Amino acid sequence: MLRQLRTALRTGVVTEPGVPAEAAPLEIVGGRLREEIHRRFKRSLHIRQVDAGSCNGCELEISGLIGPHYDFERFGLHLVASPRHADCLLVTGPVTLNMAEPLRRTWEATPDPKFVVAVGDCGRDGGIFRGSYAVVGGVSSVVPVDAVIAGCPPSPAALLAGLLEAIGRRP
Amino acid sequence: MTIVTYVLATVVGLAAGFAGVGGMLGVGMSWRLPALLPLGGVSLVLDPLAGVFLAMIGFAAVPASLYALGDPRQARRGRGAYLLFVGAMAVVPLAGNALTFLLAWELMSLASYMLVVHDREAREAIRAAWVYAVMTHAGVVCLIAGMLLLGTWAGSFEVDAWRVAAPGLAAGSRNLVWTLLALGFAVKAGVVPLHVWLPLAHPAAPSHVSALMSGVMIKLGVYGLIRISLDWLGDGPLWWGAVILLAGAVSAMVGVLSAIVDRDLKRVLAFSSIENVGIILIGLGAGVLYHAAGLPALAVIGLTAALYHAVNHTAFKTLLFLGAGAVVHATGTRDMEALGGLIKRMPWTTACFLSGAVAAAALPPLNGFVSEWLTFQALLQNLLIEQPAVNLVFALGIAALALTGGLAVACFVRAFGISFLAVPRSDASAQAHEVPRAPRLAMTMLAVTCLALGLGVTVIVPALARVGTDLVGVVGTLALGDALVLDVSGNFASLSVPVIAVALALAGLGVFGGLVVTGRGRARPYETWSCGRMLQTPRMEYTATAFANPFKRVFDFFYRPVQQIDIAAHPASRLFVQRIDYANPTRSLFDDWLYRPLLAGVNRGVRVVRVLQSGSANLYLTYILLALLVMLVFA
Repeated sequence: MLRQLRTALRTGVVTEPGVPAEAAPLEIVGGRLREEIHRRFKRSLHIRQVDAGSCNGCELEISGLIGPHYDFERFGLHLVASPRHADCLLVTGPVTLNMAEPLRRTWEATPDPKFVVAVGDCGRDGGIFRGSYAVVGGVSSVVPVDAVIAGCPPSPAALLAGLLEAIGRRP
Repeated sequence: MTIVTYVLATVVGLAAGFAGVGGMLGVGMSWRLPALLPLGGVSLVLDPLAGVFLAMIGFAAVPASLYALGDPRQARRGRGAYLLFVGAMAVVPLAGNALTFLLAWELMSLASYMLVVHDREAREAIRAAWVYAVMTHAGVVCLIAGMLLLGTWAGSFEVDAWRVAAPGLAAGSRNLVWTLLALGFAVKAGVVPLHVWLPLAHPAAPSHVSALMSGVMIKLGVYGLIRISLDWLGDGPLWWGAVILLAGAVSAMVGVLSAIVDRDLKRVLAFSSIENVGIILIGLGAGVLYHAAGLPALAVIGLTAALYHAVNHTAFKTLLFLGAGAVVHATGTRDMEALGGLIKRMPWTTACFLSGAVAAAALPPLNGFVSEWLTFQALLQNLLIEQPAVNLVFALGIAALALTGGLAVACFVRAFGISFLAVPRSDASAQAHEVPRAPRLAMTMLAVTCLALGLGVTVIVPALARVGTDLVGVVGTLALGDALVLDVSGNFASLSVPVIAVALALAGLGVFGGLVVTGRGRARPYETWSCGRMLQTPRMEYTATAFANPFKRVFDFFYRPVQQIDIAAHPASRLFVQRIDYANPTRSLFDDWLYRPLLAGVNRGVRVVRVLQSGSANLYLTYILLALLVMLVFA
């Protein structure tokens, strides 16, 4: 135990130093996102994430948004468990044949007004799976898409920036 | 002939009901036929307490008989027993001496036994009837022993003589008589742990009979308990009330906990009857305790709460059993897991069952709420008795009543939601059809009665309080508020059901109106969200078992559930599962810890005694000789 204590004391803190809150680009984007959400939605934006055949790379980045570093709930964004609660669908993957109908149903089940954000290169146009016999190709071939966040996969910061753009583009 | 019988039963019910109301309002009557039978003959006395119960019996028999008229083919078997059952029940509260009482009581038990074996091919019904016969006769043995002892010590078998002689009896003998009679009545009332016959017998009987058994017959056990604790045996010690209150608390909790996990719709209602008898006994126990502690005004409130809940339970439980009967008639099953979707197929029955369920769950403005509220007000004033042990008993009663109230809501949400809402879970339920006009009329009458008993509380409670005053003998009148507001004990608490009803109606209208105004044209009908699946089947619905599972886990010390999983794999590989059987049954505490050891003991005892019966005539002659010698020596 003494050895453990000695090691702990000698090593000290090894985590990276945090970025000053005001200067970080994340905070600037987040701040604008919060203002925009408050202006347009009065309270907060509820997002339902739909995996339409993704390799889960995009999901990894999206789950990064909920983690302690990005923690996007502080900006008024919230991932929900049912499309019935959602304002926005965040769709990933090169919509596979099997997921085309469930995606359409999810879109139907989401109350109006709603908007759809396609995430990743696959979501944009099928990505490297484009033309495969197993995919329909691109989210926009199944449901109307309001915004696209490109990248393979897009980083959490890019996701936030893309969401801001999508909200800004809303009429 | 069948129709004539049930019309006759309706007429008898109406007559009994109006006679009962008359008795309740103070029309005394007594009728004696000493020559008819030995031991004092037949003697009938109508007093206010008998009037309350007579009115309950009469007015419950009317809709039950009407319901039976709607289905003459089903109701043909057992019509004689039914008429006898109604008649005998009506005589029980009127009985003015031991013989009349016991005779009517036994006729009532036998007639209901006949009705429980109605479906005499079903093994389940035969077992139910057997358990019922054994339990009810064990109760009758206690009653006979108690009444014979009391009659011997008091020197008469007339009830009037008991009232005069009881205060002069030794405390020990009064306690013995009280215990024997209380045991006998508790069996009939379905008090835990003597309740085991009830969940078996009520589902086995045809629905109009189970409505009467549950709605009225078990109340006669309560009637007996009121008589022995406050009337026949004079003023009792504190522990009588404490025993009644604690038995009520245990019954209420055990009843509702059992009701919440059962899949059989009628058995759920039977367990709910145990719960409600528990609530009645909590009120009665409070009344008896206050009486023994010398607080007659509070005793009247406790007694009023008990009587009021008894009346209310009669109304809503008769309604619920008739509703369940309509469901069984339409679908042929009592299993809630096979029901569902009935709201679209049987709207009338659904509306009636819902109002009964709301009343049973004690939600305002229906009657169940008011009487539970009154019971609470009776219990909450216990600090006027300055004895910590008594206060503890009251505290337990309050806690049990509160827990029961919450669980009862869950129980009826489940019973109604699973049975009537959503999509049918079976073909039988999908092809259900509304019942004929007579049963619908019977159920509507009862639903209206439930509402009236809730809204008309300021008329009913003073009338019942007069009955209590008559029994407890308090001088002066009890101020119970004006036409709109019910006041308990001056400023202790007050309640106005009409105001609550109006407020609820306005709030409901407001929400509905707001939705109509703001949401017009914005609603978009779409199918139920099922996670994007292609098919929606009834198997995806919430089941009764799943609804009950959280309760099973929280109260697992009571349910003691067993997990049984049986997985049949494909012969080629255990990874290909062909079939999974899952069951999660509960085990009865009372069977395992009380009845099984008791019956095993009886069996052992009987095996010892059997040695005497060898089959040899010579030995039997020796027995006779020995018995004769013993008689000669001692006589």
